[in-house]
Amino acid sequence: MADKVFVTGAGIISALGIGKEATLEALLNGESGIGKIPHIQTEHEEFPVGEVALSNAEMSRMLNVGYPIDGLRTVLMGIIAAKEAVESAGLTEKELRKAAFISGTTVGGMDKTERHFKTVFDSNVETDDSLELKYNDCGYSTELIADNIGKFNLITTTSTACSSAANAIIFGANLIKAGVTDIAVVGGSEALTKFHLNGFNTLMILDKKNCRPFDKERMGINLGEGAAYIILESENSVKARGASILGELRGYANTCDAFHQTATSKNGEGAYLAMRKAMDMAHLCPQDIDYINAHGTGTPNNDETELAAMQRIWDYELPKFSSTKAFTGHTTSASGSIEAVICLLALQHGFLPKNLGWHNPMKEDAIPVIDDVDNSNVKNIINNSFGFGGNDSTLIFSKFIKENG
Amino acid sequence: MITLAHIRITPSETWLNGKVVSNSNINGIYREFIGDYPKFFKMDSLCKLGFIAAELILKGQTPELKENASIILFNRNGSLITDRNYQMTIADDHFFPSPALFVYTLANIVTGEIAIRHKIYGESSFYVLPHQDDEMINDVVNKAYLTSNPSFILTGWVDYDDDDNYVADIKLVTK
Amino acid sequence: MENLILQLKNQIIEVLNLEDMTAEDIDAEAPLFGDGLGLDSIDALELIVLLEREYGIKLSNPAEGKQIFKSISSIAYFVSKNRKK
Repeated sequence: MADKVFVTGAGIISALGIGKEATLEALLNGESGIGKIPHIQTEHEEFPVGEVALSNAEMSRMLNVGYPIDGLRTVLMGIIAAKEAVESAGLTEKELRKAAFISGTTVGGMDKTERHFKTVFDSNVETDDSLELKYNDCGYSTELIADNIGKFNLITTTSTACSSAANAIIFGANLIKAGVTDIAVVGGSEALTKFHLNGFNTLMILDKKNCRPFDKERMGINLGEGAAYIILESENSVKARGASILGELRGYANTCDAFHQTATSKNGEGAYLAMRKAMDMAHLCPQDIDYINAHGTGTPNNDETELAAMQRIWDYELPKFSSTKAFTGHTTSASGSIEAVICLLALQHGFLPKNLGWHNPMKEDAIPVIDDVDNSNVKNIINNSFGFGGNDSTLIFSKFIKENG
Repeated sequence: MITLAHIRITPSETWLNGKVVSNSNINGIYREFIGDYPKFFKMDSLCKLGFIAAELILKGQTPELKENASIILFNRNGSLITDRNYQMTIADDHFFPSPALFVYTLANIVTGEIAIRHKIYGESSFYVLPHQDDEMINDVVNKAYLTSNPSFILTGWVDYDDDDNYVADIKLVTK
Repeated sequence: MENLILQLKNQIIEVLNLEDMTAEDIDAEAPLFGDGLGLDSIDALELIVLLEREYGIKLSNPAEGKQIFKSISSIAYFVSKNRKK
């Protein structure tokens, strides 16, 4: 049994760039990755999105992989991010053999499926295309990512909509605490697809302009894509390997809003419970929280109810908070781990990411981080990820200070 | 880990705690045992299956216990049957994407539907596995979810291939 | 108008899966949301798709739906004024 769970590696790819360094630079410079649609084939050019700049061919060349992976964007991005995470933690092949790999995705191989769906559907003949439809299966893309990283002891896919990657992190931490494994590679990957672009459009929650989380005039989401993984490790393993620590996953919780399939309850019950329970686990009181990386999708419903939940806890003295979705777009199933890496960068480099695009307060005293501020003392960060189905998760990352640790 | 109750639903038989209680299909079971939740008919097949299984197995549980319960489900196909139905609404020559279908292209909506009906505010998660591996499911539930002391966990396998091939194999477990 | 109301009732029963319900069971003046038929926000979005598919009417803001979807008669009135097919 382990009491503490540390983060010893991280990898990320998103509209902000490839890798932690590019991501950090974009965050510090306030450069959003959201723009027009270059890769995904859709008529919906009116919607800005946060696409990864590389094509599938470019990523395949970079990784030196061929069929079938060369056509699977979720897998390609997943491999790039997981590789960076594993390398930054300095994990060997032998160490990975005992580790768990847990990945969150919902759309899985849908990007490839939808390019072939019509032709396959119209004919009864089994072709290469119809065989490829099996990549639709979310579990399969996880296995392909894992195969390209190492031989793991345990591989699982979490599928809980936009909190999938956060729940992969929670599951990995639970496995470490239960003594099942000492090391877990956890996170998520999700490619933009027509499938969910059209889906979110029918729900009428996409913004035709750049998204403006927590702004009074916010109109909805910009979708994004990407992948991120972090390495979770028990204290014993950290000591044995002499690994350097990026932060501690000090608390976490998953709760259910039990209100509606897609909408959130007015007082943000699920979000409130998730933040409360995570602070309980971390033995932190509300005043100890220095920053909240909010789910902040930019929809009228999410931001209103998330803010309501925050105000139930902090009243008028909200900690500094922002949504980084105006940087990356809403990377759906991958957002939990992408934002976890952003939080870890903030802890390490002593800055708070800005809430781009914000102009008008929704309520008095509810002003997100918009300017550069000195945050060299930031110690405890809350990272919220909420998914359809009322699936609400909160992670708390804390700075590791050797003397006290 | 103690099992409090067990339900198994297939197209031909529904077993509750070792006894056959119905031979109806999903809609039939709804009419036989439930009947007061019109939203049932708006759900996709996976949700309907999980919903009736939860409805039957949770009979007799108090609201206080349900509030702190968890829902941890597993399957192989995710929400594939609804993914296909929704995909047809965005096919080129008949382009009217359906919001009601899109909502159900997320496998974990089934845990949400159960939570909404029974006011369950605890943990909920959904995992996709290559096949029904009871040993692994028990292991995950025991080591990763019972440790946070929920009042009980509704857990198991809920998979919907098509109208002739589906199974819900769900238990209520506690420490 | 009577025909349009009947047609709308049947279309709504179909797209919203109002199982066990017939056109006669729905009062054209009764509220569709909240207490009446108990429809919710996803149903409203599905009605927006119905208006576009069957009558060529495009709504771009879900808030517009609030007034239009008050009852079957209010939908019928709106459709008769704005239909393109």
